[in-house]
Amino acid sequence: MLSFALRRALQALAVLAAVSAAAFALFYAAPADPARAACGPRCDSGQVAAVRQSMGLDQPLLAQYADYLGGILAGRDIGDVDGSVIHCDAPCLGYSYRLHQPVTEALTDHLPVTLSLTAGALAVLLVLGPGTGFLAALRHGRRTDRLLSGFTLVGASVQIYFLGYVAQWALVYSTGLLPLPGYTPPAEDPAAWAGGMLLPWLVLGFVNSAVFARLSRSQLLETMNEEYVRTARGKGLGRLRAHLKYTARGAAGPLVQLLGLEAGALLGGAVITETVFGLNGVGRFAAEAVEGQDLPAVVGAVLLAACFVVLFVALADLAVAWLDPRVRLS
Amino acid sequence: MAVVDTVPAPVRRRPAAPGPLRRLLHDRVGAAALAVVLLFLLLALAAPLVAALYGKNPVEHYGQNLPGLLSDGGLPMAPNGGISGEFWFGLEPGLGRDVLTQLLYGIRTSLLIAFAAAVVTTALGVLAGVAVGYLGGLADRAFGFLANVLLAFPTLLLLLALSPVVQSRLVDPGAAEPEWMQFLVLVLVFSAFGWIPLALSLRATVRSLRERDFVQSARAQGASRFHIVVHELLPNVRSQLLVHATMAVPTFVASEAALSFLGVGVTEPVPDWGRMIARGSEVFQADPTYMVFPGVALLVFVLAFNLLGDAVRDALDPRTGGR
Repeated sequence: MLSFALRRALQALAVLAAVSAAAFALFYAAPADPARAACGPRCDSGQVAAVRQSMGLDQPLLAQYADYLGGILAGRDIGDVDGSVIHCDAPCLGYSYRLHQPVTEALTDHLPVTLSLTAGALAVLLVLGPGTGFLAALRHGRRTDRLLSGFTLVGASVQIYFLGYVAQWALVYSTGLLPLPGYTPPAEDPAAWAGGMLLPWLVLGFVNSAVFARLSRSQLLETMNEEYVRTARGKGLGRLRAHLKYTARGAAGPLVQLLGLEAGALLGGAVITETVFGLNGVGRFAAEAVEGQDLPAVVGAVLLAACFVVLFVALADLAVAWLDPRVRLS
Repeated sequence: MAVVDTVPAPVRRRPAAPGPLRRLLHDRVGAAALAVVLLFLLLALAAPLVAALYGKNPVEHYGQNLPGLLSDGGLPMAPNGGISGEFWFGLEPGLGRDVLTQLLYGIRTSLLIAFAAAVVTTALGVLAGVAVGYLGGLADRAFGFLANVLLAFPTLLLLLALSPVVQSRLVDPGAAEPEWMQFLVLVLVFSAFGWIPLALSLRATVRSLRERDFVQSARAQGASRFHIVVHELLPNVRSQLLVHATMAVPTFVASEAALSFLGVGVTEPVPDWGRMIARGSEVFQADPTYMVFPGVALLVFVLAFNLLGDAVRDALDPRTGGR
């Protein structure tokens, strides 16, 4: 197990290194004029020249990449358009010339909203997705199965930017069943926090649970016929208990992996959900950076999201290896 | 004189194995999904014709030009978003354009981008997946690592980040972006990463096919690599390709609408469902009807395509036949 964990961690580090190179390319090498893309449309030519100087665009690409990596690992000094020099602390993902703020700082400000949204949505998803999948698999081929499968297919096809508004209209404005969505820091007022996040949790959890329901149904159906499950049943273990104890564990692998991917992706910012419900999280921050043509902020958000994905996918792999010895031995 | 009346033995004819298309049409849900998809295609192709018969176009600001349609606040005067015998699906709040023709022309925008992206990603996915799966070794490991890196980037954020960058390469700063360029940028952005899932799954299939007897015997007979790939491997991944392409179209339709909803997709005056929903969300409380049309159209369209994809997979997979 330990050697598997070490191997997996090294692999994750290699992927992270490559991810940073890709983000750098997106930032410094790919745009026609990186300084213009970083400074945005409101900068005059003098300010763009200052940004070009501050980004070190006259240096060779490799030196620029070294600076960029150095910034992520140790922090670095960056000159703003007005000539002042700002120190950008250790995981320095660049400097937003639009906000006059290091990108990392801006991202950290928006992270609690996204964190709250993700945690609740994952809880809803975990109940709804595998729950319906398990039920459908138990009643395979019957009417319950067909109904649930149809229901999840609708969930997989509906768009949050439509369902979100409709749900908000039906549950908040027309009937007042749920409070208006919004973010209150949980330390300030836990009840208001949960109330304001309830609808976003339900909508985001429901829409994302469809994939889980489909996957868990097919996984369970496949595992139900495995020898070890049949053996357990043959030895007299009840149907439900056999499936809960053996089938569920055997079928969990791909689900855990998908969950890791999903958790990482959601932490990187649920752009649409945050836009629909007016939550000012990381995703909303990224969308506003795109609108304001603030490339450093955009790339910083992308890099942060990619780190979350790599981290959670690696964690999921470890969990799968712990659940299923066949994985870590192969 | 016993005449033995020999009854000719009935010719035992095995029922011909039904082809995939027939199996698809026998699947009630699949057939219905196919019908809906075809209807949307037809509407997209015939949009100018339908618009001419109906007598409206998607660009004219009827509500502003004709009195009595929009209130001073820009909202339709008639109930339910201004639905009337004249304007079947109502009027757009503010600009006062006709919703029905906007929707019709919006199908064209969606489908053009989604189909183009599906074709490009399928082609790239086949090239990469079959090549890497067949070559194996170093190419395979390098590809595995590359896929890990690319898949680490969350799709929507990456699309958000990528479109301005691609745009800056293709359009001069300050210059107006021609319509086809917007389409090209979106197709390029979708294609940049959309091919990876197909390539990954084809790699796995080809890897196992490569060891099968028919490929080995072709190789033993001295067949060239090209022959093996084109004549032995590709025919065996055809159904996988078809399923992928069918599933890719609704994904791209939804992504395109999402980008336009966020304001980085297709811009005015090209009709677009995602942008209609975004506009609808601004006036949702006062005029919910305007958002319902593009929202429901998108839902029905994506659902039909997803159902069709499921049905195609079932029809092509002999194991689930006769379900």
